[in-house]
Amino acid sequence: MAIKRKVGGFVLRVNPILCDGFGHCHELAPELVKVDEWGYPIIKTQPSALADLGALESARYAVRGCPRQALRIERVADL
Amino acid sequence: MIALTSPYLWYTTRATGIVTLILFTIVVALGTFVANRIGGTYVGRFELNELHRSVSMVAIVFLAFHVVTTIVDSYVPTGVLSIFVPMTSSYKRLAITFGAVALDLILAVWISSLLKVRIANRSWRFIHWFSWLAFVAAVVHALLAGTDSRSGLGLAAVIACSAVVAAAAFWRYLGRPTRAAGRTALSPLVAAPEPEVRPGVRPTPSTTGAAAKRRTRR
Amino acid sequence: MMESSTLPRLLHGATGRPLTLQQHEVAFAANSPVANLFEELQSSGLTGRGGGTFATSKKVALLRSQRSHHKYVVVNAMEGEPAAHKDQTLLSSNPHLVLDGAEFLASMIGAKEIAVCVSRDNPTVVHHVQQAIHERTRRSERGARFQLHAPPWRYVAGEESALIHWLNDNESLPQYRANKAEPLRIGRGPALVNNAETCAHVALIGRFGSSWFRQLGTDESTGSTLVSLSGAVQRPSVLEVPLGTSLRTILEAGHADPNPQALLTGGYGGAWLAGTHLDVAYTNAALAPYGATVGAGILIVVGQSGCGLTETQRIVKWMANESARQCGPCAFGLPALAEDLTQLLRPTRDPQAVHRELVERCNVIEGRGACRHPDGVVRLVRSALDVFREDIALHVAGSHCAGSRSQGHFVKVPTLEREDELIWQ
Repeated sequence: MAIKRKVGGFVLRVNPILCDGFGHCHELAPELVKVDEWGYPIIKTQPSALADLGALESARYAVRGCPRQALRIERVADL
Repeated sequence: MIALTSPYLWYTTRATGIVTLILFTIVVALGTFVANRIGGTYVGRFELNELHRSVSMVAIVFLAFHVVTTIVDSYVPTGVLSIFVPMTSSYKRLAITFGAVALDLILAVWISSLLKVRIANRSWRFIHWFSWLAFVAAVVHALLAGTDSRSGLGLAAVIACSAVVAAAAFWRYLGRPTRAAGRTALSPLVAAPEPEVRPGVRPTPSTTGAAAKRRTRR
Repeated sequence: MMESSTLPRLLHGATGRPLTLQQHEVAFAANSPVANLFEELQSSGLTGRGGGTFATSKKVALLRSQRSHHKYVVVNAMEGEPAAHKDQTLLSSNPHLVLDGAEFLASMIGAKEIAVCVSRDNPTVVHHVQQAIHERTRRSERGARFQLHAPPWRYVAGEESALIHWLNDNESLPQYRANKAEPLRIGRGPALVNNAETCAHVALIGRFGSSWFRQLGTDESTGSTLVSLSGAVQRPSVLEVPLGTSLRTILEAGHADPNPQALLTGGYGGAWLAGTHLDVAYTNAALAPYGATVGAGILIVVGQSGCGLTETQRIVKWMANESARQCGPCAFGLPALAEDLTQLLRPTRDPQAVHRELVERCNVIEGRGACRHPDGVVRLVRSALDVFREDIALHVAGSHCAGSRSQGHFVKVPTLEREDELIWQ
């Protein structure tokens, strides 16, 4: 069983201009990214999304898998 | 350079050449699947993307074998230079040239993909379009240089690969996602012409052209 | 000379033609120069007049803290909102006031280049600004250098990042800003972008000081502002009013319908306000409980004979076409909202389902674009669903509201260039 450690302070963000609605992020991180009716990602931010290591790993896969490199994991200053 | 030759080096060159062509055909087909957003229900889109990346790595390995066995085999005098620089081979100049062009383009695509996170996405996409050209160069190289591609199974393989890639290119063109990739091109804001405002010249409605008509109100 | 507590301030000394440099200097002569310009700006409490609510001094402070030899001041007179006329009016009456303010801002941040951006679709205004710049350069070669730019007029062309992108790359496309605290850059140099009217207020503060400036307005919303009034009025006009005036007074001053059905505040990306709330003060704080803002100083009056749903549908359709179409939720979401609104007007599907879909889509689209264009449309639609609730219920039930039989419209929406540009696959 993986130990879930708290990893605070990161969020997954999409650059909506680069995003072309491929949907790979939704497949790789379904608990973080949902898709709207036109195929574009809706990223969950509440509660702080990348709060554990599992979520962070999914997010990393999503970032790597995006064909347009539209996703980034960013540090959030106020967490 | 030791004089190394053996029929088996020659056979390896030819065999890896054909296999490389077949593998890159699969890579191009997979790439077209990704671009046309195939998948999502039975196979994941990201899976096709990963396959595209993995098969391209295998294809590059076979390409490396093909190139290295050609250089090492001293039965045909191709040196390291002529593999990369077009028109410098003393043996079958045109055929090797096309091979060199294909290799250079594939190297460019490969290296840009390794550095994909570091370079701008627009630059990566620009280089990636050249993979189609690389395939065409590879086919011409196969037909000109290939001992096997003159007849029989070899020729059949080259024709089949070309047909698959041609179909993929056509499908890519048809299925080009105007909904997404061509979005900005449809935007009325892109590529406006240079302003016609010059100091000392009073602008008249004719100098502002069609833009002035846009503001008609009901 | 300039009295402190009377209007007009910005439009002081206005004649039929734009003031020359000499006329401007006479009309706005100050007794003694202001000592510390930046401090005066800070204590004046001036906020942006282009739609944003940022304190101008904060923006200036950010630029002051940047270390660069290539800073820019950008004067944004694009006026993307079709219902806004205030920047044009200001530049046609006294462009030198705006240019003064730009020079003050340049001196505060240490910029040597000032880019004045006016839309090229208004050749008269372009000419006035050209003349004004010419007068200044002829008079003195020192000081910051003025440059006139004239992008084509589009709704989003006046957005900050779109304007900067035009100056960099000749395309009026809004940019994604991962970190809003980083200033926009022209080439290597950071740029300070301000609305033309804001620059004019800076010029007034620079000449007469912050305590003079604060004599009008409220404690939080200081000074005066220009309002573009249109709709159910005798004539569309631009008024200068102190912030905090009641809406009723503003409508009276503009000879508008004293008993309107609703007001559109802020612009096409703003919010509807029911006509029963005319005693609200014209400040952001007072309008906030109604979901409205001062915005770009726009008020469109819709009379009792109007149909709010029709007006909203026409606006949303036009706004959807004005999308830069860079981001999926805006490129596809806004035409979908327009379609839903058309459905509510002339239902062919189950209206309750359409209404639910509309609300759902608003929730989905909000906040997911690179700029605030889709957010503005969502705000407009939500306020319409609230303010015109009864009319919508009538439409949904199959009958028509009182206003939908009339032919004229109160909100003048520019024509769509091509109908097929809007919905595309």
